[in-house]
Amino acid sequence: MSNVICQGLRSPVRRLAVLSKTKAISTSIVHNETILVKNNDEFVNKVMNNEKPVIVNFHAEWCEPCKILTPKLKELIEPLTNLDLAVVDVEDNAELVHAFEVKAVPAVIAIKNGLIVDKFIGLVDTDMINNLIDRMCGKKKAT
Amino acid sequence: MTILNNFRRLTNFVKPLRGTESLFVITARSLANGTYDYDLAVIGGGSGGLACAKEAVNLGAKVAVLDYVTPSPQGTKWGLGGTCVNVGCIPKKLMHQAALLGESIHEAVAYGWEVPSLNDVKINWSALTESVQNHIKSVNWVTRVDLREKKIEYINGLGEFKDPHTIIATLKNGSKKELTAKNILIAVGGRPHYPDIPGAREYCISSDDIFSLSHPPGKTLVVGAGYIGLECAGFLNSLGYSATVLVRSVPLRGFDQQMASMVTNEMEEKGVKFHHKCVPLSVEKLESGQLKARWLNTETKEQSEDVFDTVLLATGRYALTEQLNLAAAGVNSLSESGKIVAEGEQTNVGHVFAVGDVLEARPELTPVAIHAGRLLARRLFAGAQQHMDYDNVATTVFTPLEYGCVGLGEEQAVSRHGADNLEIYHAFYKPTEFFIPQRNIRNCYLKAVALREAPQRILGLHFVGPVAGEVIQGFAAAIKCGITMEQLMNTVGIHPTVAEEFTRLNITKRSGKDPNPASCCS
Repeated sequence: MSNVICQGLRSPVRRLAVLSKTKAISTSIVHNETILVKNNDEFVNKVMNNEKPVIVNFHAEWCEPCKILTPKLKELIEPLTNLDLAVVDVEDNAELVHAFEVKAVPAVIAIKNGLIVDKFIGLVDTDMINNLIDRMCGKKKAT
Repeated sequence: MTILNNFRRLTNFVKPLRGTESLFVITARSLANGTYDYDLAVIGGGSGGLACAKEAVNLGAKVAVLDYVTPSPQGTKWGLGGTCVNVGCIPKKLMHQAALLGESIHEAVAYGWEVPSLNDVKINWSALTESVQNHIKSVNWVTRVDLREKKIEYINGLGEFKDPHTIIATLKNGSKKELTAKNILIAVGGRPHYPDIPGAREYCISSDDIFSLSHPPGKTLVVGAGYIGLECAGFLNSLGYSATVLVRSVPLRGFDQQMASMVTNEMEEKGVKFHHKCVPLSVEKLESGQLKARWLNTETKEQSEDVFDTVLLATGRYALTEQLNLAAAGVNSLSESGKIVAEGEQTNVGHVFAVGDVLEARPELTPVAIHAGRLLARRLFAGAQQHMDYDNVATTVFTPLEYGCVGLGEEQAVSRHGADNLEIYHAFYKPTEFFIPQRNIRNCYLKAVALREAPQRILGLHFVGPVAGEVIQGFAAAIKCGITMEQLMNTVGIHPTVAEEFTRLNITKRSGKDPNPASCCS
């Protein structure tokens, strides 16, 4: 997974994304909606190959802090057009858990152009999440 | 590390196991040319199995773990981790804690806490079971992640022997997977035994089901007064569900009986009903959905019955050896009860071992299985010589007022050494924190069973009171060091604690003096 090459500027994926922004068409690329990762292929396509940075939240239903963090992440990231949120249920995605060495939940991994740029484990406060979002978006936030 | 390096390491350090000199040659050969799929296959992913597997992998072995949970008669099943994690120690302790917290809320009032509408304080059973099950699932997950990381092959299938070195695992979908191993560890543990009475399997639950019960248990009948029955009856009663216990012979059989009676006295004073010398006859379901249980008093020959919401059977556990097809492996060292007789954890077949609850005449405790499993792995893969010491293993019964002990009970000591050669020190005590809420101190009692001859080596320590497990643990180490009454009495206590009462012991049973405390602090 970490060997996947990111898509370049001239990729059809990006062109489609630009089109969808200007014409407000809903496309196959998840756009503003949280990506619910069900398998490795979905992860590669929608996270590693996403031209937007993605915040990947490793989540478990039995984890109390996750029940606080995941809705918070959704609330802060869904309104943004230049940042995506992907939620990976650790019970359904054992290989991803192993690949990213997730040993505890909640875990948040920030991915930009197919590379890990940040990671934190455990429940963190809103300020820390906002800092991460700012850094991922390069301080630009869509209205 | 290359196979060659492993080979070299082993030839330098492996010493022949007891009675299995040939194993050394087989060990070297299989690592060198991969005769078997695995160096160690573990049947059973519980406390003993996992501890052995992880230690073995740390020592360079290639290990596979099989784990499978056959659903209970009521349909309950669970994940990786074994009895302790899923339907034993862990959920039990959590529910025990829930019960204690409920009591604390009431005691808090005496300490000045303003608790609004105290009478409305009640347990939400589904919130409790959800929290408990969430914790268990997190442990299941961490366990699986850990196995993956350590590169231990995990097979979710029911294992049985095909031949001495081959195991067949039957997966949930019915498919079968075969694997061969140089060494095989049987760590299958046990499951609750169901008495042969009408209605047992159809309507009754066991400890397998109580911790995830989808509806509040309500008025409960607990059949059995071993530690499982008493602990369940204890927390159910404290949570607000009426509990009745049927005792076939004596409560906590095998434990010191004087201490056992303190435990049951306390439970009775808290509202648990006991029917002594009673055995269950039948359980039938009424139209209302409730259960009518009938039982027989074996002394008076009188039959009785009552209606309950839940009947929980806690009439002992049996080892899961039957489904292993041990005959195919040539393992025949079984006891009458189906447990495996294995001195040094080795069965009559040199490369087949057993650890944990499946072993005959060994304490059925998680730390025992873990420790024995680890030592076994070291003997198999690191040439270690140390064997498990099963004596003086401390344990605790987590009834609302807990009972912790290490070493011999009074009856055991008398039968082994004779009453004349023993000195029993004892005392009642009053925990400081009990005064303000006026908690019952009648059953706060402790005793030391020692040899009579100076320096009076201590054979057993017994304690009924709060946090008994925490109190006794340190003394388990002291007993291992051969602590004497002289040393104990010269130990200065920590004040104010309940554990310090051990250092204040000075009245013997033989003296006939009053063991009730006069005052504290002097």
